[in-house]
Amino acid sequence: MKLIDRYVTEVGRRLPLLKGRRDIENELHSTLEDMLEDRARKAGHPAGEDMEMALLKEYGSPQKVAATYNPMPYLVGPRMYPVYLMVLRIVLSVVTIVLLVVTGIQIATQSPATGGQLFSAIGNGLSSIISAVISAFGMVTLVFAILERYVPAEELKMEDEKEWDPASLMKEPEPAEVKIWEPILAIIFTAILLAIFNFNRELLGFHIFTDGKWTVLPGLTDAFFRWMPLINITWIAEIILNGILLRTGRWGLATHLFSIVIKIAGIVIGYFLITGPSITALTPETLQATGIFDPDSAQILGTMAQQGARGIIALIMFLEGIDIVKTGIRLVRQGSLQAA
Amino acid sequence: MANTDPLENVMLELRRGIIVLAVLSQLGQEQYGYSLLKLLSDLGLEVDQGTLYPLLRRLEAQGLLQSVWKLEEARPRRYYVISAEGKKALPRLKKEWTSIVTIMDRMLA
Repeated sequence: MKLIDRYVTEVGRRLPLLKGRRDIENELHSTLEDMLEDRARKAGHPAGEDMEMALLKEYGSPQKVAATYNPMPYLVGPRMYPVYLMVLRIVLSVVTIVLLVVTGIQIATQSPATGGQLFSAIGNGLSSIISAVISAFGMVTLVFAILERYVPAEELKMEDEKEWDPASLMKEPEPAEVKIWEPILAIIFTAILLAIFNFNRELLGFHIFTDGKWTVLPGLTDAFFRWMPLINITWIAEIILNGILLRTGRWGLATHLFSIVIKIAGIVIGYFLITGPSITALTPETLQATGIFDPDSAQILGTMAQQGARGIIALIMFLEGIDIVKTGIRLVRQGSLQAA
Repeated sequence: MANTDPLENVMLELRRGIIVLAVLSQLGQEQYGYSLLKLLSDLGLEVDQGTLYPLLRRLEAQGLLQSVWKLEEARPRRYYVISAEGKKALPRLKKEWTSIVTIMDRMLA
């Protein structure tokens, strides 16, 4: 009977400790003995080791037998899986994008002296992003695995288990479902912009290391920062808009109009930024004053910076304009549909 | 081992559905696992041990069965018998089964 004892121990080792392991072991033991006895009787001679081995082979590997008793062979079950995937997508994309932006800003502002330093800065940045993403993945999975095990099914009803009312199909389908990560990302980005432009303006400059000391070359002029109060208002409005979208889950007439107003305000501010005094402090003069650039390249780079800043604002204004027209067309179409 | 024949899987699924009813119907008198396995086999229903034992535990956890350890002959055995709740559930399951058989007979005739 030695083999049966060992077999039962092997099965027991693979069973959850608290869920009646001893009971299962005892029952398995008595069943195997019954079966062996049965076979010996049929064979007409006492059970030997051969017979025991044949029986255990038939009964299956200890892993397989233990698995049949495991009521939950998964970490996150089908009930939680859709929500788990959704949360994972949001968390991983937010972590990746925020860290990419932060790393980009760090590298840009530290302006490493040599190519080697630049590569090592990029390498360090990427490896810290990868490890942050992996630990975020682990944390989310851990939380869901705990929820799966300790929250009773009835307390965590998922959307599709709740009573569904077919009457909800009677309403006009709204084509403008908001994907949940869109407003979340928009809020986070806008909040980061608010923080940098109001409290961390040094991040917007260029840190240059020459003659054994750091010089900060501001990227933007006072002419730009004079517009900050108005820009702040549009950014705060943007956060409020996305907060509303997060709650309602869909675009409606009011949110569309709200977003058009914000975009128009943005275009107006952009117009004044382009036509007013230069907004970037990078000029041929300031670049030459750093002592890094010779007069010719300072001239070229400075002019490029001046034109580039205006070009970027013009591009943003153009894209916002297209967005306004698209939203306008959609609103008019919806209006004529409802009128029909 | 993975079952490669799709038809084989369909037949397994069909059989799996009736095991609960078969077990409840035969546990009016108490049986231990192996004796129940043999009883079902004698009646023509072959059930794998790996299916039967976990099923017995699950039915007990659901309150449809109750069990008790008894020391007899050479070794202790765990005896299962249908519980009061199981006795209430059985007629409903039987009715369901009869209706399934009627419907399927009509379809397959």
